[in-house]
Amino acid sequence: MTAPPPPIGRVVATELKPSTPHEFHFWTATETPIGIGAIVKVGGGSWEPGAERVVYGVVTEGFAYSDLATPLHDVVGADGDPTNADAPTMRQQIRYWTAAVLRQIPEEPLQPVPLGQVYVADDADVAQALRMDAFLNSATPTAIPVGLYTSAGRDAPVYLDADFLLGPEAAHLNISGVSGLATKTSAVEFLLASIFAHFPAHKGRVAAVCFNVKGPDLCFLDQAGNLSDEDRHRYDRLKVPAEPFKRVQFYAPYKSDGVNLNTLRTHLDLIGDVEPLTWGLQEVVDFAEVLLNRDDIDAKADAFIDFLRDRVLGRTFDDGFGTTHRVTTFADLDRLFRSIFDGLEITAGGRSDTWRTHHIATMRKVRNRLLNISTRCKGLVTDDGPSSDLPWKAFEDRTVYVIDIANVDPLGQDLVFARVVSKLREQLERRELGVDAVVVFVDELNKYAPGDGPDTYVKKMLLDISERGRYLGLVLFGAEQFRSQVHRRVVGNAGTQIFGRMDMDELATPGYQVLSPATKSKLATLPIGELMVRHPHFTQPIFVRFPRPPVLRGRDGVERFPPAEDVPFEDAVVRQLVRLDRRVRPNQVKDLIAEREQDDVRRALAAVRRTRPDDAFAYFRKVLGGRVERDAALRREHEVVPPLNTISDEPY
Amino acid sequence: MTVDLLEDAELQAHAVPERSAPPIPEASFLNGIGRWKVVSYDGVVQVVEAYVAAAVCGRDAKGVLHTKAGLQRRFALAPLARMSPGARQQLEQRFSDIEPVDADLVEQPARYLEMIESTVRKIRAHVERELAEDAIRDLGDEEWLMLDGRLSRSPANARHPRTLGAIKSHGAQFLEGRGLERALTLPAGHRTSVFLVRGGHTRTEVYSWYLRLWPWEGNDLLYGLLRIEARADPETIRRADALSGWLLAERAPIATPATRWDRLLYPLHHVEEYLNARAPRDLPLHRASARLPRLAS
Repeated sequence: MTAPPPPIGRVVATELKPSTPHEFHFWTATETPIGIGAIVKVGGGSWEPGAERVVYGVVTEGFAYSDLATPLHDVVGADGDPTNADAPTMRQQIRYWTAAVLRQIPEEPLQPVPLGQVYVADDADVAQALRMDAFLNSATPTAIPVGLYTSAGRDAPVYLDADFLLGPEAAHLNISGVSGLATKTSAVEFLLASIFAHFPAHKGRVAAVCFNVKGPDLCFLDQAGNLSDEDRHRYDRLKVPAEPFKRVQFYAPYKSDGVNLNTLRTHLDLIGDVEPLTWGLQEVVDFAEVLLNRDDIDAKADAFIDFLRDRVLGRTFDDGFGTTHRVTTFADLDRLFRSIFDGLEITAGGRSDTWRTHHIATMRKVRNRLLNISTRCKGLVTDDGPSSDLPWKAFEDRTVYVIDIANVDPLGQDLVFARVVSKLREQLERRELGVDAVVVFVDELNKYAPGDGPDTYVKKMLLDISERGRYLGLVLFGAEQFRSQVHRRVVGNAGTQIFGRMDMDELATPGYQVLSPATKSKLATLPIGELMVRHPHFTQPIFVRFPRPPVLRGRDGVERFPPAEDVPFEDAVVRQLVRLDRRVRPNQVKDLIAEREQDDVRRALAAVRRTRPDDAFAYFRKVLGGRVERDAALRREHEVVPPLNTISDEPY
Repeated sequence: MTVDLLEDAELQAHAVPERSAPPIPEASFLNGIGRWKVVSYDGVVQVVEAYVAAAVCGRDAKGVLHTKAGLQRRFALAPLARMSPGARQQLEQRFSDIEPVDADLVEQPARYLEMIESTVRKIRAHVERELAEDAIRDLGDEEWLMLDGRLSRSPANARHPRTLGAIKSHGAQFLEGRGLERALTLPAGHRTSVFLVRGGHTRTEVYSWYLRLWPWEGNDLLYGLLRIEARADPETIRRADALSGWLLAERAPIATPATRWDRLLYPLHHVEEYLNARAPRDLPLHRASARLPRLAS
């Protein structure tokens, strides 16, 4: 039987600074291992009255002072000469600490903290103090390691409760911190690894969808990074494998050329793993609201879009001027509009300005906005190509789906975000996604869900996830630099909140008033790898250290796997076909596509990608078809219809 | 009372060398406290409860003081012969340690309490002496023991080569005439010639000198004035400057908020604070304490 550890301090309570049920004060020796954030235990072995009560607290403030009555006395003692200030005797001094109560045992009746001896909390105490014992030692444990509590020389794992991190009790995680320290992204990467390793079997299958919105941050999650021995020790303590994610699927839209992927993961060794993300009219039209701002959408335009969506898209449709349309692409839609406008001009002799109760100005406006989408989001939205999308209804367990939209137009980013999240929500609701819970990681919440500014579709979406996602298993992991500038319902609904190093100006905002000055000071100087965590089970914020993520950091990845230069159209086509079938001979492909319309080639390539035939080249040649002169009538049609008015010139 | 000058033909003021000159020796410090209060009456007989304590604090290489030893005594003082049998029985049941006092002054309550004060002071001095005798046995080879008060109370203490007594109160004057004037008007950072002290209360001869820690001008003649006692040995005369330099160095840190900070060396103040912190709460430091509770701490 080992001897109990010696106490490191004693609780003191005076009339001016009494103990309360939520706070107490204690002193320690000048040389003490504890500091701000340390967890201590009061009682449990002391002879003092009330010591049968055990109280756990976290140090939130520290004071040091001596018996010097006034600084002037020190001046007098040193004869006014600072060089004489080395006195033979050290003044009596105190290390006086304030601690916030984490837990009292017994919990009832809730009483002021008794006088007693103070001990450094050991691993078991940390588990008790943070109420982790309930979900750590239950029949169906739901503990997810978040880091190590390392204050006071300890090395105790700290766990989050999966029921409160990923639903259904509470959900969502918000992480704040200054940029440039790689803390936010690293923390989320580590936490995802931890979730994948510890997500309880009884809760089902879990996956993550990460939007890479800046640089190469999330582009190398499948590559091993450099870990120190200390990091590996931490992984061992937390029982998380120190290895990169085994299953990662990367998605990126094309650049405007339609063949080079718009991502920094273009190194020849890695580009093969990146799936193109391209959407056509069908995928986009449901999210027209994302792309059209409030000024665009009035009741008339809204009604016309609804009409197109309900009556036209994907159906055989007679335009009333003798032409039957089947609109499935932007190109089809453009043909429909031209047919209608021609019909009104030619057939009706210009006397009518309405079609199916819709005014021609409304139709012109909607036509301009919709067709403009494929221009602004070229590479993501194709005029007439088929789509290449995430594996809806076939999400795999413990897989990370990275969607790289870092270099996409902001409008396109909004579209990607809105559609992906909507589909996730829709399929989780029907329990047909393939997994039971999805973590959606969104960085830069300052941008996507700001506290002020207009109500964008994306903001509404984030609010919706925050408020209702936990019932569905749709969990938002959001990150931002300035928490105070994120919509408070998005932040407020995050059950778990993590803080990295914070800016002092940010800490001065009202949201941080609950923190002591010492805690704020610690937050402002947190080293890389240390975080402050708030979780529903923790009554006070706790500081933890987490290991460097087991994956290659973005900037290291770019150095190890420098992005390849964009290649000419022909070479890009060859590369994609070779990736699908290594037997494809480049010269054959180049000869085949020489002098062919690039759109035709893109369509054929997309068909090959979608079909994945055994003989990629043969299928590609078949889909591309023989060389046919362009339809002269169609060319004339394009020449006849004059360009439509620009937005600014519209009288509407 | 006689005084023999041991240094100089006439008592002189000597400037003490710069305080950085002598190395600060390894040292321990001894001080004591005494408290008492009237706890009961048997007719006009005042029964007193008292507490005396002394402690020695050693100073480590970093300058931090650590308590090395202590002695304490909690007891009653009463003129047992004048007490009724019942009250005496009660007293004996309550206190295992009773110090009998003279009953002559019982009917003069004020003088009786002065006698009590004096008795407690003597008992405190006895405890301090006892502790000092223990402490010097445990002193390191180079370590000094500084006592608050007279060294000459104990022959063993007075004869030790590395003990010093620092006397703050100057009830007894050892000098007269021009020598007294020089002593009482010593400039700051000066000491007097060393002289021999014998007779009076002293049981043992010691060498002594006055030392001014702080300028007295603007205050009073005794401001910052210490009388030092050390072993009666020629070595003491030779080391008087060095020892005075050490004591001057001990001016910092100053012993505020003690009111006697001009003469109270900080380490001795620290020992006093330590003893006060451990003294029984029911025996107040000041006899004329307020009867209302203190409102804040």
